[in-house]
Amino acid sequence: MSLASIHNSSFVRTAGHLWREGTESQFLDAIRDGSLPQDAFQRWLAQDYLFAKGLTTFQAITAARAPRSAHKVLIAGLGAMDAELEWFEQLAKERSLDLNVEHHPTCQRYVDYLIASAYSQPTEVLLAILFGVEVAYLCGWSALDASGPYAEFVARWSNDNFLAYVHQLHDSCISHPHDSQQDQFNEVLRHERDFWQMTYEG
Amino acid sequence: MLHQKLWDQNAKWAADCLNHPFVRGLGDGTLDTEAFRSYVAQDAFFLQAFVRAYALALAKIQNMEHAEVFHGLIGGVLDELKLHAGYAKELDIKLDTVRPFPVTLAYINFLMARAWHCELAEILAAMVPCMKLYHHIGTSLLPQLHPTHPYKDWIHSYSSSAFEVLCRKLEELLDRIATDTPAVRDAYRYAMQCEVEFFTAPLQQS
Repeated sequence: MSLASIHNSSFVRTAGHLWREGTESQFLDAIRDGSLPQDAFQRWLAQDYLFAKGLTTFQAITAARAPRSAHKVLIAGLGAMDAELEWFEQLAKERSLDLNVEHHPTCQRYVDYLIASAYSQPTEVLLAILFGVEVAYLCGWSALDASGPYAEFVARWSNDNFLAYVHQLHDSCISHPHDSQQDQFNEVLRHERDFWQMTYEG
Repeated sequence: MLHQKLWDQNAKWAADCLNHPFVRGLGDGTLDTEAFRSYVAQDAFFLQAFVRAYALALAKIQNMEHAEVFHGLIGGVLDELKLHAGYAKELDIKLDTVRPFPVTLAYINFLMARAWHCELAEILAAMVPCMKLYHHIGTSLLPQLHPTHPYKDWIHSYSSSAFEVLCRKLEELLDRIATDTPAVRDAYRYAMQCEVEFFTAPLQQS
């Protein structure tokens, strides 16, 4: 699956305007043109780290509940979260930033949504939620050139390995269908939209 | 007592609720009927999650004495839902087709995330504010009651001794089970914040 085929997938096409709202943001625009305020960067780093911890919990519960046929992609994704969290911790250390902060209410809402869903939604729907989280991040960052002061960030979430992972998640959604997948995919995009807005505006 | 300490630490949110235009309107009877209808529908939706949260908390108890307390608390919410069903009939609200506001959904997700995932202490800390705050509001509005007050049933319910008993039982459970940890304080504070937003949403929608 290429980025073009993602944009042409039924999930994205059916999401309509929510797709654009969940993948485009002032924060990413500012990354692109190098005008990101320092406080927005710090807020993003700390809140995205807290989000990543919540996402790890979601992925662990989902992997535990999912059928064997969905294990490969879920367990690989969960395994990758340790490196992801370490990356945040290392970055914060290098820049003397404190990751031990309170959840912003917007981040809290997103994480609560993920954890409440992980226990109560059908596993097929959880696959669509995880696909939504990852594909929104992939496409948001892939719209930027991997150059300038934030090249490392752009490359981290727009590389071929991440694209292949998102592709596998999409395939897993298709092979484990459920009527509620699109509704929850859309709900993820609403949370993504609010999260990006929070990182830029506070 | 932990319950008193948490209540005192969050006095700002309780004051915000008492001074909230929705609550002031509830007290002096000037609250727009449409806002009250909207609130009742959202609250009924929320209370269904509250029942589930009590049930999940009950599954985590260590002794049967606590099971009796939760049994009483679940009965209390079911009674509250009957009150809402009465309002729904009177105000022609279709409770089975209610779509939750974003703040209602956020509060429910917060509660259910705690209920499924966290220890009993944190679940209780997330649930006490709703009970304590409503009793506080009910008793604070009581002096404004008069025979033709449009919201007298609501004020009577939450200022009643029966509701006070339920509230105390939940607070006693919190005191016995929880300790003063950051997770417990965060859960209590965040629930108080959710309560303020819960009163704001019906005014914005109506």
